[in-house]
Amino acid sequence: MASAGSGDEKAAAAAMITLISSDNEKFEVTEATATLSQTIRHMIEDGCTDGGVPLPNVTSKILARVIEYCKKHATAAAGEEGSSSSFSDAAFLEVDRAFLEELEEFDDAFLEVDRATLFDLILAANYLDIKGLLNLTCQKVADSVKGKTPEQIREMYNIVNDLTPEEEAEIRRETQWAFE
Amino acid sequence: MAAPPRPPPALMDELVEEIALRIPPDDPARLLRAALVCKRWYRVLSDPGFRRRFREFHRTPPMLGFIRNLGPHSTFVATPSFRPNRPARWNCPAVDARHGRVLLHVAAEGSGRSPLDNPFVVWDPITGDRRELPLLRSSIYPSSWNAAVLCASSAGVCDHLDCHRGPFLVVFVSSNGWRIVAYVFSSEAAAWSKHASVQLPVPGNRISLGPSALIGNVLYFMFFFGTSVLKYDLGAREISQVQLPPECFLARIVPMTTDDGRLGVAIVVDNRLYLWSRESCPDGDAGWVQSRVIELEKLLPNEALTALHGGVDVDGIADGVAVIFLRTDKGVFTIDLKSCQVKKVYKDSWISGNFPFLSFYTPGTRHWQQPLQLRDEEQAPQMPDKLKILNCRLLHQG
Repeated sequence: MASAGSGDEKAAAAAMITLISSDNEKFEVTEATATLSQTIRHMIEDGCTDGGVPLPNVTSKILARVIEYCKKHATAAAGEEGSSSSFSDAAFLEVDRAFLEELEEFDDAFLEVDRATLFDLILAANYLDIKGLLNLTCQKVADSVKGKTPEQIREMYNIVNDLTPEEEAEIRRETQWAFE
Repeated sequence: MAAPPRPPPALMDELVEEIALRIPPDDPARLLRAALVCKRWYRVLSDPGFRRRFREFHRTPPMLGFIRNLGPHSTFVATPSFRPNRPARWNCPAVDARHGRVLLHVAAEGSGRSPLDNPFVVWDPITGDRRELPLLRSSIYPSSWNAAVLCASSAGVCDHLDCHRGPFLVVFVSSNGWRIVAYVFSSEAAAWSKHASVQLPVPGNRISLGPSALIGNVLYFMFFFGTSVLKYDLGAREISQVQLPPECFLARIVPMTTDDGRLGVAIVVDNRLYLWSRESCPDGDAGWVQSRVIELEKLLPNEALTALHGGVDVDGIADGVAVIFLRTDKGVFTIDLKSCQVKKVYKDSWISGNFPFLSFYTPGTRHWQQPLQLRDEEQAPQMPDKLKILNCRLLHQG
């Protein structure tokens, strides 16, 4: 996959990591991108990334999306670090704001996926231990159930209601107002 | 015809929890509806561990409503996403609300409002629990008084985020015109005890019924006339006075906690909201500083500013969420001190006291004494196998 061209690329070029999806597709990423995942960071620290990192729980389709997220956020983090020493406070704040706005736009566009992909991304973010991505995707689901009835939530996320009618009635009984 | 969309995969308990943690605490109805999705979601969301993590994640309890007094009655005015455990309307006024509890004073029709003749009741709007306190036997006849309810654990021991089911104290301060006495009711001892008594420095100064402030282990109550604040130190069992700036004289004053945990007061004069804070000096002598002035003409609608009956007054403060209640001829408004956002929260103007109710509310709270037992739950999905990665680490280290 093409890398975002930036100053930190030169330094990172020496350390590329190969990630291998469950369907055996290989992705070459910089160490800066890969280490947004705490799981992979630990593997790099332990020196066991030679020959690639197999990720048997992540398909190539989802891994490509995860790498897209990590690249963007790794670049933003590197940009922020680089800018802090070379700008005045006011200019730094301006750059900081621009970064944040760009990242927010990226995140919003990134979340424009179907619900199955969203859940796959949550599973991948958890497995790879990428806190920012887990927060982003879980917040999206939490926002999506606003104003929804239990029936609508079940339908949205493919959840079977296994509560007995008695249990459901008992839960509703004391908090009926929440369902009106 | 397009193929139906792929159904989302099942999530493990920890991920259901990660999602639910991010539901805003001021929308408890959303959490309750999510809990009714299936057995697993109910089990995860009603677990005490989730309740603890939800509090830790959000830190500040949301304002789920406020109790307002109208004559001898009080009503819980709830936000759209919450309802108190019944009843929401009481035939007695509220005196205070703090740490998830409301203090009501049962003033029976025709019997006056003396707290020596009528008991206090502590009500938990979430569980619905209510406890009537025994009548107080005071050494003086209280011609003016106020009272406060609070968690029995002192500041630093309890974070007061989920202590509404634990032991509580009710502090009663009263004056007969020349002495002030303080009594404390402990729910654990189930009895009142006399804590302090002091000669009133300004004879005739009356204690004002209205919101109080708790800072650390010190409670602050207002006097009429706005010359000083009554300070009651629960730890030292000492009553003292704090002089107010002259600008507060005759204004309706509400005590508050400043952002950095100091005593503050809020007053409205000529359609301006003034916030004062108590500054401490290295030599121990403290003074007042006007920390903020908010022009209400820019924030409130014009009709609310017409002073037909007395204009705009401060009527309550939700410490913690920095929201001030303002009473006007056209109803009650709140001002968020951080965003300066104004909301009309009540239509009536003839009310005497607003006590904000701040609390977390998660599913299962009302079943806390007897958790609901769900039958035959299906096996939850397992954590994806991280062993391969771990194996790699172990092999390498080996």
